[in-house]
Amino acid sequence: MNCTLKRDADMNEVTNGASKSKRISKKPQYSRFTQQELPAWKPILTPGWVITSFLAIAFLFIPIGLVSLFASERVVEIVYRYDQDCVPEMYRGNVTAYIQNSLTNKTCIENITVPKRMDPPIFVYYQLDNFYQNHRRYVKSRSDKQLRSAAYEFSTKECEPEARLNKSRVSVPIVPCGLIAWSLFNDTYNLIMKDKVLDINKKGIAWKSDTKVKFGSNVYPKNFQSNDLIGGGKLNESIPLSEQEDLIVWMRTAALPTFRKLYGKINTSLEAHDTITVVLENNYNTYSFGGQKKLVLSTTSWIGGKNDFLGIAYLTVGGICLFMALNFILLYVFKPRPLGDPSYLSWNRKAVN
Amino acid sequence: MSSNPQIPNPHLQSSSSQSLNFGSKGLRHGSDSEGFSMSRRDLNDDDARLVYVNDPLTTNETFEFSGNSIRTGKYSVITFLPRNLFEQFHRVAYMYFLIIAILNQLPQLAVFGRGASILPLASVLFVTAVKDAYEDWRRHKSDKIENNRMASVLVDHRFQHKKWKDIQVGEVVKVSANETIPCDIVLLSTSDPTGVAYVQTINLDGESNLKTRYAKQETLSRVPEKDFINGLIRSEKPNRNIYGFQANMEIDGKRVSLGPSNIILRGCVIKNTDWTVGVVVYAGRETKAMLNNSGAPSKRSRLETHMNQEIMLLSFFLVTLCVIVSACAGVWLRRHQDELDIMQFYRRKDYSEGQVENYNYYGLGMEIFFSFLMSVIVFQIMIPISLYISMELVRVGQAYFMIRDDKMFDAASNTRFQCRALNINEDLGQIKYVFSDKTGTLTENKMEFQFASISGVDYSGEKTEFYGEQGGYSIQVNGEIWRPKIKVQVDPKLLKLSKTRDDSISSKEIYDFFLALAACNTIVPIVVNASNPNEKLVDYQGESPDEQALVYAAAAYGFMLIERTSGHIVIDIQGERQRFNVLGMHEFDSDRKRMSVILGYPDSTVKVFVKGADTSMFKIIDESLNVDVVRATEAHLHSYSSIGLRTLVVGMRALSVSEFDTWQTSYEIASTALMGRAGLLRKVAINLENNLNLLGASAIEDRLQKGVPEAIESLRKANIKVWVLTGDKQETAISIGYSSKLLTSKMSQIIINNNSKMSCKKSLEDALITSRNVINVTHASEDDASSVALIIDGTSLVYILDSELEEQLFELASKCAVVLCCRVAPLQKAGIVALIKKRTDDMSLAIGDGANDVSMIQMADVGVGISGQEGRQAVMASDFAMGQFRFLVPLLLVHGHWNYQRMAYMILYNFYRNALFVLVLFWYVLYTGFTLTTAITEWSSVLYSIIYTAIPTIVIGILDKDLGRKSLMTYPQLYGSGQRKESYNAKLFWVTMVDTLWQSVVAFFIPVLAYWKSDIDGSSLGDLWTLAVVFMVNIHLAMDVIRWTWISHASVWGSIIATCICVIIIDALPMLPGYWAIFNLAGSGLFWICLLGVLIASMIPRFVVKMFMQHCKPCDLQIAREAEKFRNSMEITRSGEIEMNLPHR
Repeated sequence: MNCTLKRDADMNEVTNGASKSKRISKKPQYSRFTQQELPAWKPILTPGWVITSFLAIAFLFIPIGLVSLFASERVVEIVYRYDQDCVPEMYRGNVTAYIQNSLTNKTCIENITVPKRMDPPIFVYYQLDNFYQNHRRYVKSRSDKQLRSAAYEFSTKECEPEARLNKSRVSVPIVPCGLIAWSLFNDTYNLIMKDKVLDINKKGIAWKSDTKVKFGSNVYPKNFQSNDLIGGGKLNESIPLSEQEDLIVWMRTAALPTFRKLYGKINTSLEAHDTITVVLENNYNTYSFGGQKKLVLSTTSWIGGKNDFLGIAYLTVGGICLFMALNFILLYVFKPRPLGDPSYLSWNRKAVN
Repeated sequence: MSSNPQIPNPHLQSSSSQSLNFGSKGLRHGSDSEGFSMSRRDLNDDDARLVYVNDPLTTNETFEFSGNSIRTGKYSVITFLPRNLFEQFHRVAYMYFLIIAILNQLPQLAVFGRGASILPLASVLFVTAVKDAYEDWRRHKSDKIENNRMASVLVDHRFQHKKWKDIQVGEVVKVSANETIPCDIVLLSTSDPTGVAYVQTINLDGESNLKTRYAKQETLSRVPEKDFINGLIRSEKPNRNIYGFQANMEIDGKRVSLGPSNIILRGCVIKNTDWTVGVVVYAGRETKAMLNNSGAPSKRSRLETHMNQEIMLLSFFLVTLCVIVSACAGVWLRRHQDELDIMQFYRRKDYSEGQVENYNYYGLGMEIFFSFLMSVIVFQIMIPISLYISMELVRVGQAYFMIRDDKMFDAASNTRFQCRALNINEDLGQIKYVFSDKTGTLTENKMEFQFASISGVDYSGEKTEFYGEQGGYSIQVNGEIWRPKIKVQVDPKLLKLSKTRDDSISSKEIYDFFLALAACNTIVPIVVNASNPNEKLVDYQGESPDEQALVYAAAAYGFMLIERTSGHIVIDIQGERQRFNVLGMHEFDSDRKRMSVILGYPDSTVKVFVKGADTSMFKIIDESLNVDVVRATEAHLHSYSSIGLRTLVVGMRALSVSEFDTWQTSYEIASTALMGRAGLLRKVAINLENNLNLLGASAIEDRLQKGVPEAIESLRKANIKVWVLTGDKQETAISIGYSSKLLTSKMSQIIINNNSKMSCKKSLEDALITSRNVINVTHASEDDASSVALIIDGTSLVYILDSELEEQLFELASKCAVVLCCRVAPLQKAGIVALIKKRTDDMSLAIGDGANDVSMIQMADVGVGISGQEGRQAVMASDFAMGQFRFLVPLLLVHGHWNYQRMAYMILYNFYRNALFVLVLFWYVLYTGFTLTTAITEWSSVLYSIIYTAIPTIVIGILDKDLGRKSLMTYPQLYGSGQRKESYNAKLFWVTMVDTLWQSVVAFFIPVLAYWKSDIDGSSLGDLWTLAVVFMVNIHLAMDVIRWTWISHASVWGSIIATCICVIIIDALPMLPGYWAIFNLAGSGLFWICLLGVLIASMIPRFVVKMFMQHCKPCDLQIAREAEKFRNSMEITRSGEIEMNLPHR
């Protein structure tokens, strides 16, 4: 008796079972799982737990906030914006012409004062404002394959519009290709203190993972910055990409339009009120779109650079939790409600009223 | 005379005689119902199918009839891919995925890489395709088995074995006992000399009793091998009505009509008949069984409808976000228009070719348009498309648990709960109205003969355990003892009277009464072996339980039906075998509400016996004969029905020769008519059934099912209005109402019982005033036990439904705690359901067991079928099926509640989950020059809804329980949370969205401000956001989980771990720009501080509000949950739980 109504397996089962063997009970096998009676933890936040959790958060967050604030306070930071100061008076009206002209003298000398003692290592950053390294056109314009291995020299598909170069009618790949590499930041800084050049160590500024894996030691720059429009720095064609740390740092595209990038490290300590003479080459064009350039010298702490935000945020959250704990204590004291009292059930309340 | 009568459609008469259940088969037998119009339509040659008996070649000349091979599988190996994809893309959700994926393939819009953009769609398609392929494979397998079964087919004057799939229309097939019919065949002859075949239709409609089918007089004596049958059958086109068939057969120049009693359908099994021979009329997919093979109509749950509104809102949000982004992008481009050429991070010009051209820049307008499309791609998961798939999975899981619930297993019928509709599980948690059938739903539909009133004498004396001598009546046949299979308690006084044969009037009337009970029915006695070899049991098979009860009762009083063929019946009357010719039979129909049989006595007198509902019977009783008897009988009937018994009235009349001849002529004309046969037969019957001699009345008890009063009490406490719609008499309905605790003595009853529209209107108005008064009094007295019950009958409903009075009825009914509708026809049942459905937003549930409940079950939001005595039509039409009425309580209060809570939470959570992610992406876009860069890697974006957050919501949606079964059963009032839509409503949606906004702000801006002016790179920040968002949504979920089983722990914490692993893997791929970011990031303290800050700060508002509400405005569920945990010793009235469970433990 095969069931012709094969509407669903269930139906099949029912009829087959019914006629074939009435004896076999179809009673579902009992198991705690099928009866939805698995042992379970049923947490209910009683007033005690609520207050405890608020207090716990408060007592965790306030110290962390204080420690963070303290750490941030200890960081000494010198920020020097030079993009405007370094343009000679005569070019102030037409900055673009100044910066695009390769013949103008880009050297610029300024003095900065150390506000507080800075202990090594002191990090030298350049900071760009209003520079969208996360712009869609920009982030996509790179070839990670090409960077990693010489074998993929020709995989430049993603690098448009900076992928290939017409060299005597032959299309040759640009290495490293893409807008990111093309726009390599090329201002340089020399720091002189007390007539002595401060040594800026430019080794080890990039991630080790990048130098070891991501950028190939057999990939050498080729046809780089050979187009009509030059976006930024040039590369020494005899040094493999894995050792071009400035490029590697630059190619870790920043998350936000205001960002810093590590330029180098100073391993000597700076005393308060020391004057540092900055000799910089102001090559990079941020003028065309109103970007700002800053030189930053900063010590570091476990929390990173100088940033009070997290400390304040933690203190605020901790404070709110403390406040909430007090509120709930008052609430439970002045308006207690026995837990699970059936008289609070809506239908019982109705009956009472 | 005795040789020719054919019983027209005796199998259709089913419930013929019961007055109470007159409607129960109405859908099947009602000549006006839609299902029958097909078979009742007159046949003309144009739309008839011509079948040449035993001549398949001629028959199939035009190749229009399908062969007998069947294919329930949808796909073949070749067509699988295209067809399956085609079917899958019928869903809006998949189309959306597809369009987004296609958009993404355009080079200008390529937000995601090719792989990443197709992955979500591909994974969903793949999962569904695997599921479909598996199901189809199973279908193919069973098709193959089915097609290769062997049948015996007449070829070259010999029956030869042939595979089922090779059988053709027109061939003659022979089927032996216990074999399955391979296709729909018209009977030609059977092993029985009178041409009777018994079939079991369990495969078709689930009814296990035997039905009789007849071969036509003209063919039944022929032996097909030798005596070549050469005929032509004109039959109607294939249709899905399994209870109707109309055709005629031209044989030997004669034209005979064929009805449903002459056809055996594919899937039936031949029983108690050695062999049958028939000609194939429908084969393969044209058989009625296969045509009925379509699924139940799909319904959409209320929650899903609401959800779709919110999805519209979300689409609006999505569009808003996209407009903001594209407008800002436009402004940005416009402001920097002059700088774009040389801006290092834009550089519009492409210098690599000789000619300097714009690269990937198509003008401001196009750029704005593109950024709109791109933002749609980036923010696509704002519309939680995966939610639809999650919901399906969750429903499957919920169905699994409902089916496996051993508290909804019916041991008596050995049936589990069945989930037939998979998309309305959560509706079970919001039911406000339950419309219940009475017979078979509230009651067991196991009829037991109780009392009889014969000629005005009531035999309802003391019942004894005494079954007559030697444990019941028995007879001797060929040295064997035959006794009825079921013993009936007898009234000793009546038993004694029935045994005395004298010429007194009372004795004669008792004789006629029991003869009527034994003869006036369609019961077929089947003799089966008993445990004792010298004993045989007579099993009365028939479709109507009432008839069975009556025949068993007659047998107990010594009127034992032992043989029924098409032309005669044999009744053993007090040990004396008597043979009566059955000269004609008028089947039961819902207009007449009675049936009659014309018996030819051995002494060639002819009498007509009629039995039917009292209302229809008293109209045709000749009152002049004995007014006192009629009055007394009416009084007895009233007293029977007031204790909840089902009553039938029996009448009889002797026919004079001339009367008989007139009848016979018209009967023959009518029964062979090709057009309007049913109407003609009904007319003949009405002409015959008059001036009857009242014999008496019978009372049959239909006991309440176990646990019905408790179940109704629970439902009522749960604020569910229970309406009982029954075909029974008012008194019976009211008494059942009392015994099932539907009605209480404290209730004031309003009874509407009218015969005209005007009087209906008046009584409705009066009733409204009364109900208002009662309710006002109730309010004053603060006693919620007293309320109003409305009792209304079918006749009044005729005037009220579909007229302007409907409104008043609705107003009245909504004021009443209980509504009892008696004497209602099947379509009226649906009308009442529609009355509520049209006017309120409240969910309705209809529960019933018979064919008469089908329309109601389909009309209601949720239809529940009881797999009981009356076949499976109700189950087939239902969304859920179960064995007992009392299972409705766990189904609604426990499973319905859970399903609703789970699904409601899951929907809100999915909205939140996806919106949170989209908002985090959106905030970032504001910092990228509105260019739709995502810091979060494309792979993480794609995996977010597939791996990172998909499993916990499904697991919690299946497993979380807000309250235990015990609490839910003890406090049915807790069900109110679903009725009040507490877990899913517009307010909650908006609260959730505000919370989402806050959380997204926290998740985005804390890291941004913490890393402002730092040397953080995009990938690292993206990883931080990925982890933060995934942790947040999982902690958010964890805060709402109520029961933590190991599975919930595993899924929630497991998906956090899985996310970490995925992020690590993605960052370990050197070809991606973000290589090793997570490792560098995790090495810094700032990252951890950030993450912790985000998690805590985002959850605090939620936590505060939740705790505050929990303390100050606790919902009932909250209190019950606390009670469950802290007051285990609380004096929960356990009675409810135990009573509900004991009977089937």
